[in-house]
Amino acid sequence: TAFVVEDISNIIKEAVDTTIGSSPFQTARVNAWTSAVVETCLSQLAKLGKPFKYIVTCIVMQKNGAGLHAASSCFWDNTTDGSCTLRWENKTTYCIVSVFGLGL
Amino acid sequence: MPGFDPALELQRGSSISTVSYIDEPGQHDENPRPAVQMENTYQLGPVKRFPVLTVNNILKDVLTSYLQEEKYEAELCRQMTKTISEVIKARVKELMIPRYKLIVLIGIGQLSEQNNLRIASRCLWDPSSDTFASYAFKNSSLFAVANVYAVYFE
Repeated sequence: TAFVVEDISNIIKEAVDTTIGSSPFQTARVNAWTSAVVETCLSQLAKLGKPFKYIVTCIVMQKNGAGLHAASSCFWDNTTDGSCTLRWENKTTYCIVSVFGLGL
Repeated sequence: MPGFDPALELQRGSSISTVSYIDEPGQHDENPRPAVQMENTYQLGPVKRFPVLTVNNILKDVLTSYLQEEKYEAELCRQMTKTISEVIKARVKELMIPRYKLIVLIGIGQLSEQNNLRIASRCLWDPSSDTFASYAFKNSSLFAVANVYAVYFE
């Protein structure tokens, strides 16, 4: 059982599409969105039943010209652990979701 | 890759997404190492716990020293995120906490009057042995967020 990037990226994409979809950015809903995206991802990942510990991070940002950079560095075992980052956007919102999976 | 037609993605709604990831595990070695066999150590939990407060201070030091006087510029901040994440990883490794795997996540963004941003994370792990440290820094033109996750390796 290794970390399969494609499955994970599909899970994340589904989670973001169903939570935010094509809704316009609304400050009042951002909290709910980030929580929902992360909870959905985590529950779907747990359902995979693989022997992994997961860390899911989500950044939601309004599109208004400001810039954002994100980087991550990891100290782990390349053969058993992996990560997947999905950058998603719609007309008014950017969303970056990172999933890190550490093999047990 | 089957089913990954970008034109199709655009039609499916008004959202686009791109995926990025490091190399597939185990594929990038020319001489793949055989899977390491670990011996039992009969150790149930971490001997030395992860010092959250020390790491919080490290994050504060590194972010303040690198970013105190900087203004947000795309190229500079791109280099800066990578550099800072490597520096933080090296400093936490110096603490020599045995059997902990580290993940360092850095975000640097531009401050503008209307900028609305929310960062959230959730983890599926063992809360008695795994933990995280976090720090957020702000100056007049940019903000930076640093998260370090420490996961115990059994």
